[in-house]
Amino acid sequence: MPQKKNNPLPEYVQKKVKIEDAVGLALAHDITEIRPGEFKGPSFRKGHKIERKDLCRLMRLGKRHLYILKLDKWQVHEDKAVLELAVALAGPGVTFGRQPREGKITLKAAYSGLFKVNVDPLINFNLIPEVMCASIHNNTPVTKGQTLAGTRAIPLVIHRNILDKAVDIARIHYPVFSVKVLSHAKARLIITGNEVYDGLIEDKFEDIVTKKLEAYGASLVETVILPDDESMIADKVKVFLNEGADLIITTGGMSVDPDDVTRLGIKKVGVDRIYYSAAVLPGAMFQLAYKGDVPIVGIPACALYHETTIFDLILPRLLAGEKPDNKDLARFAHGGLCLDCPTCHFPACSFGKTG
Amino acid sequence: MQDFETLLKGSAKDHGHLCPGQVVGVRMAMLGCELIGLDDPQNLPQIKKIIVYVEIDRCATDAISYVTGVKLGRRSLKFVDNGIMAATFVNLETNRAFRILSTEESRELAIKYGPTTKDKHIQQLEAYKIMPLEELFMVEEVKVEIPIYEMPGPTRFKAVCQQCKVLVRDKKEVYKNGQILCRPCAFGTYHQAIEKSKKVV
Repeated sequence: MPQKKNNPLPEYVQKKVKIEDAVGLALAHDITEIRPGEFKGPSFRKGHKIERKDLCRLMRLGKRHLYILKLDKWQVHEDKAVLELAVALAGPGVTFGRQPREGKITLKAAYSGLFKVNVDPLINFNLIPEVMCASIHNNTPVTKGQTLAGTRAIPLVIHRNILDKAVDIARIHYPVFSVKVLSHAKARLIITGNEVYDGLIEDKFEDIVTKKLEAYGASLVETVILPDDESMIADKVKVFLNEGADLIITTGGMSVDPDDVTRLGIKKVGVDRIYYSAAVLPGAMFQLAYKGDVPIVGIPACALYHETTIFDLILPRLLAGEKPDNKDLARFAHGGLCLDCPTCHFPACSFGKTG
Repeated sequence: MQDFETLLKGSAKDHGHLCPGQVVGVRMAMLGCELIGLDDPQNLPQIKKIIVYVEIDRCATDAISYVTGVKLGRRSLKFVDNGIMAATFVNLETNRAFRILSTEESRELAIKYGPTTKDKHIQQLEAYKIMPLEELFMVEEVKVEIPIYEMPGPTRFKAVCQQCKVLVRDKKEVYKNGQILCRPCAFGTYHQAIEKSKKVV
């Protein structure tokens, strides 16, 4: 078995040779060059195939002998192996640099969007000995250039069969990692509540919803304030649907009090699918409905008080063109509890990280 | 590398005219090559060691391309549409990279270094030839992480657009609404169809 990286290499993998005999052979280690005040770094990298023209430079660096790799056709150097792993793992929207660093390749977002992980194949990939890949959570909104995952072959030299097995898992389940583009949706908002409609209190929802939409490149194109009237709410939703809304958002009226009729108004539209309640705190009394391709989101009043709610978890999914259902809303349970920290660090916290 | 005057003459001929942009571009490219340790970037083996990112599509870009030999089709010339008179020279072997920005101050300094004339074009052209590099440019050493699919060489990545079936090379596909799409299908085109049914060829 190949040895771990930090241990001395076994003799069958590396061999000491005279510099003049090293032409055509691959270096087993980096060769560092130091030019005082000018340059310090590897002048020859591990795996570099020695050419005749390199000999003078190597001699100037004080080298008379080199450790060279002697790999048979079944042995793959870690730098070559990790490139194969990265190519197989990186789906659309996932990019990586051309050179491994310390045997590792970091996968990054090629554009902003929603990071998707094919979780079970990723676990199976990691069950293959001598390869690894670790990522951030599935369904995380990411920005261009953000680090998504890191992968490496663990030993310096990996057996071709093991490498192929890992690559096959990633290829069969392509894409293990991808970034979905978020649409620049034009949303329409219905703010419900007699107290707002009658002017007794000032609406705060429009600002909140606008900021959250704009953070993902979507926009709010129309807002109306309606009383707690089932028919008026249903009629306005129909108008918005006819006007070609990409996304309809309602706020308030999601609870079970007699005046909380927004969810009933949405139901009255004759939607295709409707899901009420989510395994998220705050945001349990959340409603998600679909009429054709248009999602109709019912945000409960808790979003006025809490900075981060179910809406923050579901919005990027909708903008990525997904149609979450009751199973998705239930899946939030594991990780769906906001700790209500004095300073909100979302998304850098456990909230909504369902794995 | 050839001397400045020879390169400028060749660059102007290649570009179509002699202009201040040619002077800036030639000097920028000569400095860039020197900084990354290449003296013969147009020929093997150095031709494979250089990548230049240009941030503007104006006269100087052609001069940079002429001096360094980098070309869009060779994938050694990268265009980043920033509208800034700057370019970054990368040595792929050593990974050293320098971004050189043409300073705005140099426009005003043309009076100091150029001949006394009402023709700004001539004044700038002559001034940029002799202006000290530290006044003409702002230089910083930078790190450029070049994605593997932007490297020269054979196409390693191919995907088929699930909508129009066109082949998309070099990981330029996007994932939208559960489909792998080419950019025109995902984001729209820069052109508009005139008559769908009529094929020109």
